[in-house]
Amino acid sequence: MKLRESTDTREFAIEIVKRDNSSLRIKIDGREIAAQYSPIAGGFILTIDGRRIRVAATRIGERSFVAAGCAAFEFVPVAEGRAARSRGLVTPTVTAPMPGKVLKVLVAEGDLVAAGQPLIVLEAMKMETTLSAESAAIVRRVAVSTGAMVDHGAVLLELSPVPAQIPGQSAPSTDDRGS
Amino acid sequence: MALPAKLLIANRGEIAIRIIRTARAMGIATVAVYSEDDAAMPHVVLADEAIAIESADAASSYLNIAGILNAAAKTGADAIHPGYGFLSERPEFARAVVERGLLFIGPPADVMAALGDKVAARRLAVDAGVPVVPGLDGADIAAARDFAARNGFPILIKAAAGGGGRGMRVVQTADTLEVSLEAAAREAAAAFGDGRLFIEKYIARPRHVELQVIADNHGNTFTLGERDCSIQRRHQKIVEESPAPGLPDNIRIAMAEAAVKLFGIAGYRNAGTAEFLLDGDAFYFLEANTRLQVEHPVTEMRFGCDLVAMQIHIAAGEPLVEPMAPRGHAIEVRICAEDAEHDFRPAAGRVIHLNLPAGLNVRMDTYLAPAAQVSPLYDSLLGKLVVWGANREEARHRLIAALDEFMLSGVHHTAAFLREVVASEAFADAQLSTRFIAEFFPNWRPSPELLEAALIAAAIAPASASTSGVDTTLRDGALAPRSPWETLGGFELWGRR
Repeated sequence: MKLRESTDTREFAIEIVKRDNSSLRIKIDGREIAAQYSPIAGGFILTIDGRRIRVAATRIGERSFVAAGCAAFEFVPVAEGRAARSRGLVTPTVTAPMPGKVLKVLVAEGDLVAAGQPLIVLEAMKMETTLSAESAAIVRRVAVSTGAMVDHGAVLLELSPVPAQIPGQSAPSTDDRGS
Repeated sequence: MALPAKLLIANRGEIAIRIIRTARAMGIATVAVYSEDDAAMPHVVLADEAIAIESADAASSYLNIAGILNAAAKTGADAIHPGYGFLSERPEFARAVVERGLLFIGPPADVMAALGDKVAARRLAVDAGVPVVPGLDGADIAAARDFAARNGFPILIKAAAGGGGRGMRVVQTADTLEVSLEAAAREAAAAFGDGRLFIEKYIARPRHVELQVIADNHGNTFTLGERDCSIQRRHQKIVEESPAPGLPDNIRIAMAEAAVKLFGIAGYRNAGTAEFLLDGDAFYFLEANTRLQVEHPVTEMRFGCDLVAMQIHIAAGEPLVEPMAPRGHAIEVRICAEDAEHDFRPAAGRVIHLNLPAGLNVRMDTYLAPAAQVSPLYDSLLGKLVVWGANREEARHRLIAALDEFMLSGVHHTAAFLREVVASEAFADAQLSTRFIAEFFPNWRPSPELLEAALIAAAIAPASASTSGVDTTLRDGALAPRSPWETLGGFELWGRR
């Protein structure tokens, strides 16, 4: 399976090679790791290279919420073929990076936007976050209006690529928009 | 005046819990107020009584002065503690509380108005001979341009009524000045109901050092040591400690004297904080916080005192008794619902797995509990982990150990980031400035070891029993959540025997 952090775009290919009731061998991005595990309340202890790490993982729908030591992760599966994205445009939709309130919609349907142009201002936890275009695009649809409360991952805008080749569009492959 | 019999806490989250605990220890009954969304939150559960505050939207419940006063009347509360944030620095609230014949646990409204307003406080500081950073009151765009022309960029925009770094923006160049002023005014209006701004010269690499001030109604004004709060993200503190490492005694004494002088001139009562920027050996008064500070436990751990209890005694008219002499070193980290890997972007969710640290000289002030909702409507602070040690190194190691005990899934948070900060050589060497994170942790990512362990855990985690992830009883606000682990029975979760 392929996982990525819900707020990031790094993808990890994971394959369980072998598992018995106290040890497992697992491949992460092709690298094989041997680990011992033993269950504890609410999770288990993993021993990797002699280092003991407490982990707890809960899958809810397709999301896996994990605590590893004092770190927290939220993984989502990566659909196969996701890499085939619209050419010249990093993501065809602008989604909410966090739950919050739409403070401003700065573009309208049909607008041509430039890379870096502010699109939407979100407010969460009393802070403003401006979502900007990663690359030049045309606003195909505005899915929210000012004042709307949106959930994490909600589609705010749909974009389509600009027809002509725009120079300098080797933007990194990332969902990581924001201020 | 006798101590209050029943205290209403006009706040939520960890600070409401912290205040309830002290009140209960003093034999004072407690009343919690809550927004519609917060009905099952721990502060509501912990208080003797709880009253819902209705508001157009949940976010404004804790700003609803009439609603809170009605709750006090309905429950017969005779005192109100505002906590920090929300209404804590709104003079009209303090005034309304007193006009209702209730005790306000904080300074008098007029003193709050004078000292809590950045512009007025600066004028007071100048009058008191306390040094201030060059700045400008009530900035409109023309005045701001003029100020920038005289003092140069970068400049800093702040909310006149603000605190905690909200509504603060650094402006690097003239062409972003107007946009930044507008955004700062909007944020200030949203957060404080007051869009007035203040502008000052931006000092690039200062330390943030603040003095805890406490004053009674009998003319006694003391300081309870300083706190170094230099480590910040988005101008908000995330690591605080006392004493400030390496601060020369003469500077420490001069800062304390400046704080006492300023608060004395203002006629201050109750607990407050004088914040300073320290630039080499020069210090500048930054602002006064006319309330209990988020990081007040650092002072409590070092002085062995209870600042909330002191606030209540002072409000009741009792003379201040100088607390014990300070001992050792205390450090606090603020664990926030934020994604440290992505510019500390706010996160929200629901607590799934939780393990809180404990032990000798370890204090965790938090609202975290199994199944607790982390709402995007409020401040991102989940809890404060505070430790004490005989010296800074002991405190630092205790904090690392305590953070190693901390586990929380269900929401992104900053504990792993904070652990690396506290364990870093830069922190051990106390290379403190407000640029600390930019300088030492510019592109932080979780350690590969923890990421790897997390991926392994995710790969072998079973699907949970219900699609909501937690037992359905949880969503109805039941107190005892059952994790899917318990529900399905330990090891079978992995799907193989």
